[in-house]
Amino acid sequence: MIRRFLRRTRARLHALAVPVAPYRVPVAVLGALLVVVGSWSPWATFSGFAGKMTLAYPGGARLYTLVLAAAVALAFVPLRGRRVAGEIAGLGCLGLALLTTLAIAKEGGGLVNVAWGAWVTIVGAVLLLLSLLSLPEEEGDEPARLPDGPAFGQLVGVLAILVTALVVVVEGLEIPSAGQFLAYLAFLGLLAAAAAKLGVFEWLQRAAERHRMITLTAALLAAAAFPFTQDGSNEWVRVGCSVGVFAAAAVGLNIVVGLAGLLDLGYIAFFGVGAYVGASLSGSPDSNVRLNLVFLVVIAVGAIFAAVLGVLIGAPTLRLRGDYLAIVTLGFGEIFRIAANNLDGFAGPKLTNGPNGIPRVPNLNLFGFDFGESHELFGITLGYFANYFFAELVLLAFVILAFVRLNNSRIGRAWVAIREDETAASAMGINTVNMKLLAFAIGAFLAGAAGTLNAHVTTQVSPDSYRFDESVLLLAAVVLGGMGTIGGAILGSTLLLVLPEKLRFFQEKRILVFGIALILMMRFRPEGIVPNRRRQREFHDDLSGADATSAPPGAPVVST
Amino acid sequence: MTQFAQQLVNGVVIGALYGLIALGYTMVYGIIQLINFAHGEVFMVGAFGGLFVWTRVIPDGTPAGIALPLVLLGAILTSVTVALIMERFAYRPLRNAPRLAPLITAIGVSLFLQELVRLYYPRCSAADTVGESIPRCGVTQGREYGALTDQQFPSLISGPNIKVGGVQIPRVSIFVVVVAILLMVALSAFVRRSRTGKAMQATAQDRDTAKLMGINTDRIIVVAFVLGAALAGVAGVMQGLQVGTVGFKMGFLAGIKAFTAAVLGGIGNIAGAVLGGFLLGIVEVMATQYAPHPFSGGAWRDVWAFVVLIVLLVFRPSGLLGERVVSRS
Repeated sequence: MIRRFLRRTRARLHALAVPVAPYRVPVAVLGALLVVVGSWSPWATFSGFAGKMTLAYPGGARLYTLVLAAAVALAFVPLRGRRVAGEIAGLGCLGLALLTTLAIAKEGGGLVNVAWGAWVTIVGAVLLLLSLLSLPEEEGDEPARLPDGPAFGQLVGVLAILVTALVVVVEGLEIPSAGQFLAYLAFLGLLAAAAAKLGVFEWLQRAAERHRMITLTAALLAAAAFPFTQDGSNEWVRVGCSVGVFAAAAVGLNIVVGLAGLLDLGYIAFFGVGAYVGASLSGSPDSNVRLNLVFLVVIAVGAIFAAVLGVLIGAPTLRLRGDYLAIVTLGFGEIFRIAANNLDGFAGPKLTNGPNGIPRVPNLNLFGFDFGESHELFGITLGYFANYFFAELVLLAFVILAFVRLNNSRIGRAWVAIREDETAASAMGINTVNMKLLAFAIGAFLAGAAGTLNAHVTTQVSPDSYRFDESVLLLAAVVLGGMGTIGGAILGSTLLLVLPEKLRFFQEKRILVFGIALILMMRFRPEGIVPNRRRQREFHDDLSGADATSAPPGAPVVST
Repeated sequence: MTQFAQQLVNGVVIGALYGLIALGYTMVYGIIQLINFAHGEVFMVGAFGGLFVWTRVIPDGTPAGIALPLVLLGAILTSVTVALIMERFAYRPLRNAPRLAPLITAIGVSLFLQELVRLYYPRCSAADTVGESIPRCGVTQGREYGALTDQQFPSLISGPNIKVGGVQIPRVSIFVVVVAILLMVALSAFVRRSRTGKAMQATAQDRDTAKLMGINTDRIIVVAFVLGAALAGVAGVMQGLQVGTVGFKMGFLAGIKAFTAAVLGGIGNIAGAVLGGFLLGIVEVMATQYAPHPFSGGAWRDVWAFVVLIVLLVFRPSGLLGERVVSRS
């Protein structure tokens, strides 16, 4: 229904732009000139609006309109999908200019306070859009498939995107106001959407798959560079730590949900089991187990313990339909939380200290390296959270490696086969119960490992950190980011943890927004922000089928 | 022995509520094989709809005998409306999607409804003081948004407990059990006798063939959602009457327990849901009384319910009255 409405609106707009067609190029040039001039002129009559709005140097929203206007040039690149890419950039340019104008008017108390630069930019954006819309209809709204090119070019592309990602994150975290941050996000989203329409991300995905180890190492190095940009401040490195551990758990959950297609609603319980094991064996003065083991042993114990529990829960339920698993894991999550609350020596054996949890978990000390101290490296001070950040990167790398190796193995293929059609998979000789159990146990193992480390990062564990909400948050990270992809799980975790930090007003309503986001995502883009190609086919087979039949003979039909 | 009988009575009352909610799960599941995780929230929203009618719609001094049906009606209207919107905009577009999609949507709907009530339920500004009688605040008086804490529910059925040989039975409990049983009987008669009910059975057996026979299956699915929601709404009010408070979180546990009840009786089977509800309620209450020492008491009650579910799935996954579970690919 909504798609049809969009298509119709677009057709109407195209009809509107027909008179412009003969003068397309001059109109586009004029529009671009106006945007450039407008972006370099004052937008507000008063100073102090959201940073540097009255200065001549285009910062903030004005920079975004400028870049988006430049991106309109994509429409003239001879590639499939260029028209849509151009339209996204053009609409984004106009939309951001309009929104900023409104924000200035609201801040200043009326449209009077909007200076001429804003109006010039808006007129320029409208002209750009008109000339874009007058481009002739052509087959080619499907994303293009870019040629792979030489291996060297692929590597440069992958490295460039990683460096860009680091810069984008660091720049974004420095933006002080929530409104500007939203504008920044919108700007990035629009640019990414335009690039996606040209097939840039598919190209990158192929490149990354071909040079897997190099990409992984480079990505970790890029992430490891992050604490060096923070001037010894712990604020964002601490958030980075949460993102790291959350992402490790999300990638683990992605094995269960994304690859094997098993909906695990109590995943946080395995994480919690690991955390409790970690805290109990850490030598905390409040621990009820008088044992203090080396951390590398503890992490193994935590992970194995979680995996054993996973097998115990999974074995009876995995023989049945998937829906039962969802509800039983949900029940298990609750059992874990209730048990952690009750094992305080009164309602049960003294093990977890009940609602108080286990505080005072000491800092890690590995081979004489104290994680609780700041360090200086290359003349840059690193706060002590940076130590944990690096440790979490190592853990994340391990989890990612496990994911990749499993995904490309016989086991991974079996999981995908089970996910798509269990009966057929079983007929092909796959032992479906064992395979599902394996996925479940591996997921639990990874969550347990992440939880063990997290006990040291947060220095305390308590039952309230392992509520159903947390499982849902993890699931949301996987679903929103993209089921079955590493990039998706990491992007999802980053967004879900950084957004509430950045947008304080949003914190109260974040669960509400996640709920709506889950519903809308399943309705319109079930494959997530970063789609797995195979998965995308699965969710949209009706669509691609229709396209394949309606495409004119000779037109390149989507190929995998 | 008295103690046992007393616990039995308590179990039956809780079980009646579980059974009413479980019917909603089982009907929807029987027809479209969807576990509507958000059904617990429909129950919760119904309770708040009833509370809203009592505090805002009916005038002061309405006798309980007139207020109770109106409160029930308000609850039913609220939960049915919510279920209709949910079915139309969240589930129907996904009818042919892979299995995981509607499950995730259901979680989304569930979170959305909980937070909607938590953040935007228009409560009376004086309603936060727990312990006093609940104010009626009419349409015009001051309101605040959000039900962050549990809200008091009016005790519309009062009077001394009835004693049967040393066993104390509150009047509310009798009302709850009687209404629940009446509704269950009515539903079962509806499904077996009426034209729509027979169409429901046909749709559950084979949706495509039912369509060929001229049954509007989309309408039948809506009917299943509506009937389930109406029962859940009634259950919401009865929980409010029984416990004395309602909160935005009440749907979560009740939903899982009711689902357990539905599985216990054999999901997709109406009589099974009722049986499963009563059984689960009784087992749960008995476990708090008679379980071995450290694991008895209210703190472990929910754990026992889940243990029942897991044990059941090991030994009889099709439930007590269910047929063999056929896996749908």
